[in-house]
Amino acid sequence: MAGRRVLVSGMGGDLGSRVAALLEQEDWVGDLLGIDADPPRRRLQRARFHLASASDHDRIVELVTAFDPHVVVHLSVWEPFSRASPKQARSLTNQAAISFLGAVAECRSLESLVVRSGIEVYGRARGAATRPDESAAITPTCEFGHMLATIERTAGDLGRRIGVPVAPVRLGGVLGPHVPSPLGRLLRMPVVPFSVLADPPFAVVEDIEAARGFVAAAGRRLAEPVNVLANGAITALQAISRGSRVPYPLIGPDWRIAKFVAELCGAPIPEHVLETLHRGRLADNSRMEELLGFSASGSTVEVIDKLYAWPSVVHVPARKQVA
Amino acid sequence: MPLDRSDTAAQAASSAAVDTGSLGILARWDIDDWGRDATMVRAAARLANLRWSTTIGGHDRLPKIGGAIVVINGRRFGLTPWFVALNLSNKVGRPVRFVGRPDAAPFGALARRLGGLLARPDEVAGALRDGQVLIVGASGTFDPRTLGEIDHRLIGPAVELDLPVFPAAVAVSQTSRSARIEIASAVKPSPRRRGPLAELELTTRVGNRIARLLKEFGGARTGTPLDWLPFSGMGGD
Repeated sequence: MAGRRVLVSGMGGDLGSRVAALLEQEDWVGDLLGIDADPPRRRLQRARFHLASASDHDRIVELVTAFDPHVVVHLSVWEPFSRASPKQARSLTNQAAISFLGAVAECRSLESLVVRSGIEVYGRARGAATRPDESAAITPTCEFGHMLATIERTAGDLGRRIGVPVAPVRLGGVLGPHVPSPLGRLLRMPVVPFSVLADPPFAVVEDIEAARGFVAAAGRRLAEPVNVLANGAITALQAISRGSRVPYPLIGPDWRIAKFVAELCGAPIPEHVLETLHRGRLADNSRMEELLGFSASGSTVEVIDKLYAWPSVVHVPARKQVA
Repeated sequence: MPLDRSDTAAQAASSAAVDTGSLGILARWDIDDWGRDATMVRAAARLANLRWSTTIGGHDRLPKIGGAIVVINGRRFGLTPWFVALNLSNKVGRPVRFVGRPDAAPFGALARRLGGLLARPDEVAGALRDGQVLIVGASGTFDPRTLGEIDHRLIGPAVELDLPVFPAAVAVSQTSRSARIEIASAVKPSPRRRGPLAELELTTRVGNRIARLLKEFGGARTGTPLDWLPFSGMGGD
């Protein structure tokens, strides 16, 4: 079991570099390789890293097949309006899925594939289950949900074709001090809109917990989906109150104006966040202990409290202008 | 960047925010995993108690921990499952949810905050696995002494998970303050059945038991003259 070669796609992102840092501490991990369009966000000791754009299929295929990984953790997923517009996010995510999943299919040593997914895949259509578990049907109702469902389907097809277990890790909304989360950004605005008629509950997950989920799924060679999110739930109004922000109640058509204003203020609201604020987003995390070996350590309320306690980015001007 | 963070700063910041914020009271409301708001449930139960004086019998039969289903009769437009869930929550000291909430704002949102679940077998199964007590209502009727149809698909998960199903009769007066909830002992599925017939037969037996309970309640015209008086705590119309 020891000395496994592990590939992390999307190692440059916050979640990717956290997963890499945790994998470096695992006994069973031998060589650790990361590929992303951006360098890792934190210092890594053992991992090797290659810069490659998601669209650079040939280079990615060359790097991946040369490495011939035993375990692949596919994290190259762009959440709409996190670091890219929804259109760019969809394009980059699709390109990364084609490049990485296509390349790993050629690796003879592959034993396990773990892919990043989200509870957005369950969809929030009228009459949809309030708290779906892993066996619930995949019927996404937002763009991000469709993107994640496509990755799950592609990885699942690939796994069946080459006989490798695939574990989609379905995350709640990921929040962290360095995570470019559109939900977190919106909740930290001085004035936050919320749906006064619905104000439904939602659940989130802290980036550390999400990273633990990927490492556990890889270590256990998980072969089924797992929901990873914090316990409990919170509504937008409660979150706003806990952060001492000003709640701005909205009913329906005025959301268009709120979206426009939020975008102008630097916190654009993507479709899946809007859906969360209107229809809520919960999922059953009770199988985490059974499937991953640990259960959620914190509650959604605690993660939201931390969201408001994390310091803002402070821009320090250069002492000497060089350009 | 350390992988573990200290919670001290977050806790201090959040408690300060909650204490000083003008909407601090909202922040302290507790939403559980299913979207039930305990504070709102307590407030609604207080309102219900202003209107009705409810007598509850047999609540000690409900398990202290673990899942269970309580099947009740219902009156059309009466929101009987809501009423029973609110009263039982107060009585047994653990969350009791009702099955059959709408899913459109604002009533669906309000029902969810009061502990409502959608009438879907997978939703019922998930809540039972999570150790919740659920109220499942028969379809509403205009005659309070008549039992409507019970959806056997909502009882099925209890059979699959081998959890108790309790029949309960509910009588709520429309004119006086009297209301009564009587929970009978659990009805077990037939050990002869291994397939879906088990839940069908169990539903029929639960329905028969509720009908018997309703008959035992008696009506305003069959009780003693004392029962005819309003505010007597029993009977009524």
